[in-house]
Amino acid sequence: MKKIKNKRVIFQPTAYKAMQTGINQMANIVRPTLGPLPRMVVLEHNTKNERPEILDDGGTIARRIVALPNRDQDMGAMFMRHVLWQQHEKAGDGTATTAVLFQSIFNQGVRYITSGGNPMPVRKHLEKGMEIVIDELKGMATRLEGQQKIAEVAESICYDHEMAGILGEVFDFLGEFGHLEIRSGRSRQIEREYVTGTFYKMPLFTAEMIKDRDKLMAYAEDVPVFVSDLDFDDSAQFSPLLRVAGESGIKALAIIANHVSDSAVAFLVSISRNPQKFQAFAVDAPIPEEGQPVMLEDVAIQLGAKPFFKAFGSTAEGVTFEDLGQARRVWADKEYFGFVNGKGSPQDVRKRIDELKKRYEAAKDVEARNKVRVRIGKLLGGSATLWVGGNSDLDIEMRKARLERTVEAMRGALLKGTVPGGGVALLACRPAMQRMAAQAGDEDEKFAYHTLARALEEPARAIIQNAGCDPDVIIDRIDKAGAGQGFDVRAEKIADMAGVGIVDAASVTMAAVHSAFASAALALTVDTLIHHKKPETVFNT
Amino acid sequence: MPDELNQESEVKEIVYALATSPDFAKSGACFSARQSGLYRSNDGGETWNSVYGSLTLDAPLMTTSVVLSPAFPQDGLVFAGTNGGILRSLNGGKTWEVAILRTPSPLVSALAISPDFAGDRTLFAGTMEDGVFRSTDQGTDWVFWNFGLYDPNILCLVVSPNYTADHNLFAGTENAIFRSQNSAHSWRETGFPLDRGPILSLVISPAFTRDGTLFAGTDSYGLFRSKDRGQTWQHLPGLEVTSSINAVLISPEYPLKAELLVLAEERLLVSRDDGLTWSDWCDDIVFEGDPIAVAAPSGLNAGSPLLVGLSTGSVIRI
Repeated sequence: MKKIKNKRVIFQPTAYKAMQTGINQMANIVRPTLGPLPRMVVLEHNTKNERPEILDDGGTIARRIVALPNRDQDMGAMFMRHVLWQQHEKAGDGTATTAVLFQSIFNQGVRYITSGGNPMPVRKHLEKGMEIVIDELKGMATRLEGQQKIAEVAESICYDHEMAGILGEVFDFLGEFGHLEIRSGRSRQIEREYVTGTFYKMPLFTAEMIKDRDKLMAYAEDVPVFVSDLDFDDSAQFSPLLRVAGESGIKALAIIANHVSDSAVAFLVSISRNPQKFQAFAVDAPIPEEGQPVMLEDVAIQLGAKPFFKAFGSTAEGVTFEDLGQARRVWADKEYFGFVNGKGSPQDVRKRIDELKKRYEAAKDVEARNKVRVRIGKLLGGSATLWVGGNSDLDIEMRKARLERTVEAMRGALLKGTVPGGGVALLACRPAMQRMAAQAGDEDEKFAYHTLARALEEPARAIIQNAGCDPDVIIDRIDKAGAGQGFDVRAEKIADMAGVGIVDAASVTMAAVHSAFASAALALTVDTLIHHKKPETVFNT
Repeated sequence: MPDELNQESEVKEIVYALATSPDFAKSGACFSARQSGLYRSNDGGETWNSVYGSLTLDAPLMTTSVVLSPAFPQDGLVFAGTNGGILRSLNGGKTWEVAILRTPSPLVSALAISPDFAGDRTLFAGTMEDGVFRSTDQGTDWVFWNFGLYDPNILCLVVSPNYTADHNLFAGTENAIFRSQNSAHSWRETGFPLDRGPILSLVISPAFTRDGTLFAGTDSYGLFRSKDRGQTWQHLPGLEVTSSINAVLISPEYPLKAELLVLAEERLLVSRDDGLTWSDWCDDIVFEGDPIAVAAPSGLNAGSPLLVGLSTGSVIRI
């Protein structure tokens, strides 16, 4: 160990040893959560008064561990933590699989490199092997269709029969891009609610515009809609709109605006006293930070409206009936503005959806991807809300977290298909690695493919071990049983995994392979650790 | 008569749809849905009489679609789609019950019935502006969900021959073809090419479960075929037409008999090689108006009877 000014530098072999200890600690914490019979991990809270947190999700467990006492080992642990959290964010599941794959590759690699292997070519071959394994998984993936199949995949992710059944129905209805909200419920079960049409967070400017006191919403049929981000400070500014309404004989008008003054709101309420004759209601457009322009553009496309934007110098002056959008049914309440069957051009809607789907595929950032997905869901129309109940607040929070995780993974499964579960898909990639090892040109290459072939067993081993069985014996039986066969840990027997509904989302498995293989290959090239003399702070994100 | 059913003040007679009884060869029973109402013939299309006599109508009731129960000779069930609702008769058209769809009531553009109607009592109504409605009680109550059906203008609708097991149906719209795999709860757009709509006619292979085949007739781009349940579509170049394909019929023995019939360019064209080559159904036939609808109650064998509904309101038997 050397000390530079304000820095502490650790060289090999100490660096590897410390990294390895940290990585193994982190992996061993997450490992018990893998499989349908997982063990829970209980975390003590910072304040003693709070109840401990019970977790079964590798990503969250890793995130809760903010530092190990030994700072050298901590570097390895935090490296692993980052990898697991990235996997969690990217795929919603597969963190434990990532952990055991990473651990196996890293441990084998350290042994090889410390006995004279060259880390750089090893990394290159590991990354090549990763591509081959991902291609193998793509070849195995089968399209996910039908409520029953979707429910089976959901159960393989959340291990909750009730939740899986509901997700089967919800995703069968909504599809991979459908808009789904998850909220805390009051009953013990999970309840679902479907809404036909589309809605956006655009509340009415005043509850006085609500004419239907039973449903607590403003509602009208075949309604023209003025789509804008304009400010209406004076009731006189509504004149062009009301002139158009009068000329075209319409009985209702919905206005989307950025601001409507109190006096202007009162004016709209006053002219809507007899909704049978005429009613107008105005809703508050979202603020720009919440994506107002694109949201209004989406709304305008669905309604067939010309959007009026302040930024383009638009005003309501000169508005014509053709500038207004229209929908078969329009509603608004204190939170949302919604409509069913907007009369925009379906071709324009279709083009917009296609454009957004391309953007979704290209999005690297999870947040950006989710925003695009929500927009697609709204353009497709229809949404669902799941109200998650439970036996206690703690139970509800746990189920909600599990549901959110499962939903994310399910979207990937619907997009990329499924592969046999229980680690069988990864076991089936071993022959490809063994073939590559047989054709290897040098020892480093041979080692890399042997390492990956061995690592690919590790998720199945962990699942079997967590169920209390002997992995060596069971893996041997799986190998003898043939293609697609694996160990059904619940039934404690060898079975056709896809046949008995034990499947994994291909997107999750592929993401786990990518995260684990690439990160472990990179970690093996670490030569030196450098610490700040004193850590400035420890983050708990 | 409920106000929601929009009656026509001025009638330009057009035949929109035809339906024949399963025992047509014996009974000659068939229906034609026209601008002026619904008509029944009991002599194979020679003479027609309005079946709306029991309704109190101030003006003609435009009827855009008609479908019969698969067990029509026994149960006498007829459904007629109008502008604003669906009429049901339990006695072959003598009397009618009206089911009003959710307001504002849409025009019913297509009706399709489950092949196992006796068991599941299910039928579907495609509408302009409101997508697809479903009834699971023989047409008494109708609901719509339409998740994912972002084009709610339905021009044609077909139900899988194996609907009881696969719950599949397809809807052709102005711009796309949508598939539902869960009894019209939700829809996914198929891979039909962009800018090739509107889709005026759809027909599904009787062996759909095995061959995944369906055909789509478009307004100006000819005929398309999918062999993978709508995922991909191929244009059939053998049918060199650019006008509307108002109807496509398929042999009940398809694919053993790969026979198709289309109404295109004011002609009746038949293919007996799965759409590779086409010829006129019969020579020296001249229609006195545009052919809009066609029914082949006994299949597509040469010499089998065909009923053709014209834009003049007449139905001719070939």
